[in-house]
Amino acid sequence: MNFDLTEEQQLVVDSVRRFVKDRYDLEKRGGYMKGKRGFSDANWQSMADLGWLGLAFGEAEGGFGGNQIDVMLVMEEFGKGMVVEPFLASVVLGGGAVKRGGTAALREALLPGVIDGSHQLALAMSEEQSRFDLNDVLTSARDGGDHWIVNGQKSMVQNGGSATHLVVSCRTAGGQFDETGITMLLVDANAEGVTRQSFPTVDGLQAAEIGFKDVRVSKANTLGGVGEGLPLLQAVVNDGILAICAEAVGAMEVLYKDTIEYTQQRIQFDHPLADFQVLQHRMVEMFMETEQCKSMLFRATMEVAGAGAQANRMVHALKALVGKQAIFVGESAVQLHGGMGMTEELRVGHFFKRLLVIDAMFGNTDHHLHKFAA
Amino acid sequence: MDIDLGPDDLAFQKEVEDFLDSNAYPSGTDYMAWRFGWFSKAAAKGGWDVPKWPVEFGGPGWTPTQHYIWQKAAATRQTPLDLPFGPVMLAPMLMQYGTKEQQERFLPDIRARKVNWCQGYSEPGAGSDLANLKTRAELSADGQHYTVNGTKIWTTAAQMADWMFCLTRTSDDGKKQNGITFLLFPMKQAGVEVKPIITLGGAHTVNMVHITDVKVPVEDRVGEDGKGWSVAKGLLQHERTGIAGISNSIVALEKLKGRAASVKRGTGTLMDDPGFRTKIAELEIDLLATEFTELRSLAAAAAGGAPGPASSILKLKGTDMQQRIQKLTMQAGGLFAAAWGGKKVGPSFARDGMSGYLASRAYTIYGGASEVQKDVIAKNVLGITGSRRSDR
Repeated sequence: MNFDLTEEQQLVVDSVRRFVKDRYDLEKRGGYMKGKRGFSDANWQSMADLGWLGLAFGEAEGGFGGNQIDVMLVMEEFGKGMVVEPFLASVVLGGGAVKRGGTAALREALLPGVIDGSHQLALAMSEEQSRFDLNDVLTSARDGGDHWIVNGQKSMVQNGGSATHLVVSCRTAGGQFDETGITMLLVDANAEGVTRQSFPTVDGLQAAEIGFKDVRVSKANTLGGVGEGLPLLQAVVNDGILAICAEAVGAMEVLYKDTIEYTQQRIQFDHPLADFQVLQHRMVEMFMETEQCKSMLFRATMEVAGAGAQANRMVHALKALVGKQAIFVGESAVQLHGGMGMTEELRVGHFFKRLLVIDAMFGNTDHHLHKFAA
Repeated sequence: MDIDLGPDDLAFQKEVEDFLDSNAYPSGTDYMAWRFGWFSKAAAKGGWDVPKWPVEFGGPGWTPTQHYIWQKAAATRQTPLDLPFGPVMLAPMLMQYGTKEQQERFLPDIRARKVNWCQGYSEPGAGSDLANLKTRAELSADGQHYTVNGTKIWTTAAQMADWMFCLTRTSDDGKKQNGITFLLFPMKQAGVEVKPIITLGGAHTVNMVHITDVKVPVEDRVGEDGKGWSVAKGLLQHERTGIAGISNSIVALEKLKGRAASVKRGTGTLMDDPGFRTKIAELEIDLLATEFTELRSLAAAAAGGAPGPASSILKLKGTDMQQRIQKLTMQAGGLFAAAWGGKKVGPSFARDGMSGYLASRAYTIYGGASEVQKDVIAKNVLGITGSRRSDR
């Protein structure tokens, strides 16, 4: 066992760190969010040019043959700047689903576009009634011979508005909660019968409500086996959880460091706030929990990357821990910044908002605790 | 000790409920007209518009039990919006420290809700350490007026206030708590500039207020020159009791239960989730206890005047519970709570889930941050002396 990065990995980390430092501060980020797609086209192109969009894809597909560990390294650095470009949605989730479930022909047709940034993907899995249960699927795909006919509604689809292609969980057999009978389909986002309404989320990103009305999808676009989509979706969601937890760890690090800096500068009662022991202890706890989350992140990521037997269990443990402690660190950062922490002016509040959304994505702490204990 | 309501209390309860029910807001009508009408009808009942005011100033002279009955009844019914700055915070200070002339001049308009007040306390350099304030008030050579210059921050509702009660520094001699003077001045004048501060929930409730060469006649000073700190502290105790909001939390918790029961989770609802139920139960138990802590505090206040240091407990417990309710409401909304900008997705309560939660984070910061409240309890209630503390 070792925790060292390879030379290549260290180069990627350095380059992502530089990118975040150069391209991201609160003002620049606000500017990107105002863009037509809610992020910066130039940044997206840079990510493609630097090869990051291809990190986790096989060399045959034009990628670099990396795995979840490489994604983790990128996402942790992205977390320190609250990067808004849809790396998660397009590369980890959508791209991951195609990589795992697409036929050779489909992978060949689609993934080069994901890697060069010309395609953008999104994972459409949540429905209004489904809460965090991946198997709760009402959106249906009916057999139309050489194609599927998709009907239904998906909710809170990250990057759904900008996506060129959607990965959609559909019910092809069984009842609403059945674990079999779910089929994953790749749907052209501009196909006839697809309606999309994009809107901002608390963290400054974009989500969409997406409707499907008699949408024809070629059977060649089926990802994984017919009726066997749930394990595929679960694997993709696990990758997504690893990625956002890495992002969270990056954000938590910024929060505790910003808080230490602020309390050392802010004078009240003729002393820096950091002189007060009760605040010191709170900051020590923020640091401790961030490190614990990082350890759990390494553990879960390595387990999944090594296809370990404990993979699902470790992912549940990670999401349960990170959701809880990210909120603790966020709340503490705001509390110790006092009124200033409540404003849009400082970045702590923005990191906090992103962490709230991360807790709510792919199942919150309660959900994963329950799964872990089960 | 007796927990049951006597026949008089039951009669009072019915009278209160009837009053509130028969004066509910008729939807679609002029809200402000209803609001003013409501307060004047409540006044006609014998001080129901100012429940906490002493009898000699027109208050109802309720027993602690009657206050409790009123709060419970009002929490589940619609009463007019009412900012605490005039009737709850400033008024008792005018009664205690103001001149007869000031009482006659300001109290009737506060009572009729004709004049809105805001609180000029915090400054960029004076948050938890309020006594560090720097807004300067210079007395003119003839001793007739002060000239005020400085900046106040986190001023709630300044954008709709007619007057500010303002802590100013008139002297730098001695302890920081000395040399503070409590002044009143109108907001709608050239030297007062209100700038909005948008907070994390996206709302505009607080402001920065720049004060430039504002002239305040000495008649509009409350208490003596340099003795404003006593007024300020007395007022904060009133602020801290009001802040607990126990009755409202009880109602909010019931609402949360209903909402959670409407959230589907598999074939059941979120209320079938043992994890969620446990958190609701813990909250409910804390509320049951805190409700009685408030009653004990009310009884003590009725016997001895000011709410006293016990109000610090209420602020800590009350704000903690309000925050937990907001957090559970956000969590009940699931990912839908992340929708922003008025987009209508998911259950209707989820839409403002995260903004409500974010706004609630200020509860443990304003009106004396929780860390400072604990220092106050350590010193004033427990008598623990120590040097590394915020109240030196």
